[in-house]
Amino acid sequence: MIRVQREDVDIDAVLEAVKSMKSGCVVSFLGTVRDVSEGRGVQRMSIEVYEEMAVKQLSIIRDEALELFGVHEVAVVHRYGNLEVGDNIVYIGVSAGHREEAFQACRYVIDELKERVPLWKKEYTADEEVWVEGDRRE
Amino acid sequence: MRVRVKYFASFRDMTEKTEESLEVPEGITVEGLREHIKGLYVKMARREQVLVAVNGVFVPLETVVREGADVAFFPPVSGG
Repeated sequence: MIRVQREDVDIDAVLEAVKSMKSGCVVSFLGTVRDVSEGRGVQRMSIEVYEEMAVKQLSIIRDEALELFGVHEVAVVHRYGNLEVGDNIVYIGVSAGHREEAFQACRYVIDELKERVPLWKKEYTADEEVWVEGDRRE
Repeated sequence: MRVRVKYFASFRDMTEKTEESLEVPEGITVEGLREHIKGLYVKMARREQVLVAVNGVFVPLETVVREGADVAFFPPVSGG
């Protein structure tokens, strides 16, 4: 399951999609909107996506994780649009025979997503809007 | 030949466009097109990192851009 969507993540559906009889565990990662960024209070966030490319990139990363770590299934759901503090941004689920490879694969997917999937956050503070670009705020 | 160029995030703000069709020389490379765009938009020229994708895929800078290609320009990503 690879999805880029406005709607909230159905976490139970993602877990069901990755679980299988041969898997001994599911490791998951949930990214949420923080109320502070670089010391400034964040009131809300919006996320822009290049959707067609984002889905392709996520599929490539998923296939790499399956191959590199030998895990059973990988699912990623990433939201875009307007989000409030505390809202879900991204959910990753990985099933595997054992926890070691599941943790490694889950870490790999979120790290690669942050490097090469075309999504951009904009943070809204009390007095300005700031694009987040890589590790920078413009 | 013509190519379709898309801009995202702060680059969309800088160009005030989501996309445009540009006439460029046959045989232009991804790097050549990036320099051409930087010539059109001075704010983008000042940026250290201008990422490029052709038809939704990252490609080497020396790749030749084909007629009708979709070429996207964007800043470093910040999802997750």
